[in-house]
Amino acid sequence: MRSTRHPAWIGALALAAFGTAGAPAHAQEPITIGLIVPLSPPGDPTGGQLIRRGAELAVEYYNQKGGVLGRPLQLSVQDSQGRPEGGVAAYRRVVGEDKAIAVTGFFHSSVNIAVNELAKNMGVPTMSTQASAAEITSKRYPVAFRTHAIDPLRVAAWLDFMAQKGFKRVSIVAETSDFGIGLTEETQKQVKDKKLAIELQTISFDRSSTDLTPQLLQVKAYKPDLVVNIGVGQPMDLIIDQATTLGILPTTPMLVSYDAPARPQFWQLHPNNGNGIYFIAYYSPKEKLSELGEWLAKTYQAKYNEAPVYGSLNGFGDIAIIAQAATQAKSTDPKAMVAALEGGSFESWPDAKVTFPKADGPYWHNWAPPVLILHFTKPNQDWKEAEVVIEYGK
Amino acid sequence: MFSAELFTQSLIAGIVIGIIYALMALGITFIYSIVKMINWAMGEFYMLGSFVQYFLVVGLLGPDLWWVAALLSAAAVFLVGWLIEPVLIKPMFTGGIERRDDYATVVTIALLLLMRNLATALNGPYQRSPGTNLGTVMLGPLPESGARLAAALCALAAMVLFWVLLKKTWLGLALRASSQSRVGVQIAGVDILRLDQVAFGIGVGLAGVAGALLAPVFLVFPTNGVVTTTKGFEIIVIGGLGSIPGAVVAGILLGVAESLGAAFISSPYQNAYGFVLLLAVLLIKPSGLFGERMRHA
Repeated sequence: MRSTRHPAWIGALALAAFGTAGAPAHAQEPITIGLIVPLSPPGDPTGGQLIRRGAELAVEYYNQKGGVLGRPLQLSVQDSQGRPEGGVAAYRRVVGEDKAIAVTGFFHSSVNIAVNELAKNMGVPTMSTQASAAEITSKRYPVAFRTHAIDPLRVAAWLDFMAQKGFKRVSIVAETSDFGIGLTEETQKQVKDKKLAIELQTISFDRSSTDLTPQLLQVKAYKPDLVVNIGVGQPMDLIIDQATTLGILPTTPMLVSYDAPARPQFWQLHPNNGNGIYFIAYYSPKEKLSELGEWLAKTYQAKYNEAPVYGSLNGFGDIAIIAQAATQAKSTDPKAMVAALEGGSFESWPDAKVTFPKADGPYWHNWAPPVLILHFTKPNQDWKEAEVVIEYGK
Repeated sequence: MFSAELFTQSLIAGIVIGIIYALMALGITFIYSIVKMINWAMGEFYMLGSFVQYFLVVGLLGPDLWWVAALLSAAAVFLVGWLIEPVLIKPMFTGGIERRDDYATVVTIALLLLMRNLATALNGPYQRSPGTNLGTVMLGPLPESGARLAAALCALAAMVLFWVLLKKTWLGLALRASSQSRVGVQIAGVDILRLDQVAFGIGVGLAGVAGALLAPVFLVFPTNGVVTTTKGFEIIVIGGLGSIPGAVVAGILLGVAESLGAAFISSPYQNAYGFVLLLAVLLIKPSGLFGERMRHA
């Protein structure tokens, strides 16, 4: 008797305890978003870390508000090391094992391009946070989305800048990545198409090189009016230092191809030769932020004791967009997510609605912030005080 | 278009960087010649030296005393190597291990991963620079960074000191004897295991001093030793495994090949010219420029 009664009693208790708790436990299973960022070289680890900070705060924001579709949000953070193969393995992991509903955080174009080839088969959408090569979206893959300035916009901005300053001889020193090669080719194309009287010298280098003296000696011999520095991470810093040694800087102005000089570590690395640098940025602190953006700026400042830069803002914004897409789709199914991203309108950090139209060429599924060219006019200048030289695409 | 000025500048730049490369390789070849093992974690000892230099210069001594910091960094890395050797390397000879090469490869790769990940965990992935007060110096037609020139001169000084140690001291005699016959020196009453410990410490100390000297030039971050390892192995194969003069000559040859190749052939392939040189040397002299055929009992 005991042996039969006991299990029945335990079974009833178990049903009472787990029968009711079982369903919410399933409903509470977290929704995972993949974040593939470079956290170690040869990628740009600082770029990856800044995106990660913003993305983590977005998760915090949504979880404070009760999560998404009644479920908590979580990130699966993977280090791509800036290598395409690292990115592909990471995408496989977050989609295959962690069941991510979307994957974002891409910083290096070559990583995003390689991952998209896999994503088009696996079906889980990708959202480029800071990778700008045209190819990422120009292939018109249904799963490929982006919230970043593409090569043609960046190049158009710096050609405007060259025209404004009267630069006629320009040296482009670019790494042999999709980013470097893409920007070099796009510059050559636009100079030709627009029939601009600009003479270009293009020099490329392997991004694992540490001694760029041979390349910069060629630049010096060319006597340019402007040097465009298309190195990402350590090579960008090495070009600034080695160009200073060779006497190219500060005599010849230098334009850095992305917003690295806005990072806090810039002046620690270049206390004596950072003044006068021009650099591309995608956000001006004078710009109005959305309600989400204001929350991030305040929380970020309190947590990290500094203002967020673009990488963190866009890392935050991309998680917010994915969360809103899941809410609008009322589903985490990849196809429903893609449809929601294509048809929806989303709030991000800027004071403007974000949409992903099925537009032509690289503008496919692409929303881009304006491209700015900022200029440091004194040593140790806060990037928020830098002179705004060009504001393109607003 | 050929320019004599660009050629001279590239040649000088190649020689300077080549001397620095030689210092990077010297430790690898030295450890191989004595302990008969390849230390795959050599780049991580370079990284350790650069971090010690950074913290000493920024936190304690200031940029004017960079040379004191470099000496202290070398000593610190020597000490780390000296402490690690009995734990990780010594069992290769005392633990009854049959496949010593495999053991050394596994252990030093594990050490590489541990040191690199530890540095990332403690420092974060950020780049740092200890800064320098050394200005630009003209080397003929080439403006050269004071920090880089100082690194090259100190590398030369370190190599001379190393040569004196090997040729003029009892320890050097014992080390050279050990490189010829481990059994022979034991018969002569030398504690070979203690000698291994010292040799490992000196070898990684050389990598550490290279890291310290180059900290303001190539920056400080957890994976800055990767280049050292790659170039180091290229150099010891070109120069001949275990040959110290070979490391010096091959380092300079590699620096010059890369510099002239990038300036006059094609700059994206800068890192490939070293491998072309390596293949050419191996075709002509498979044991390397200064290498000797090994005799096995």
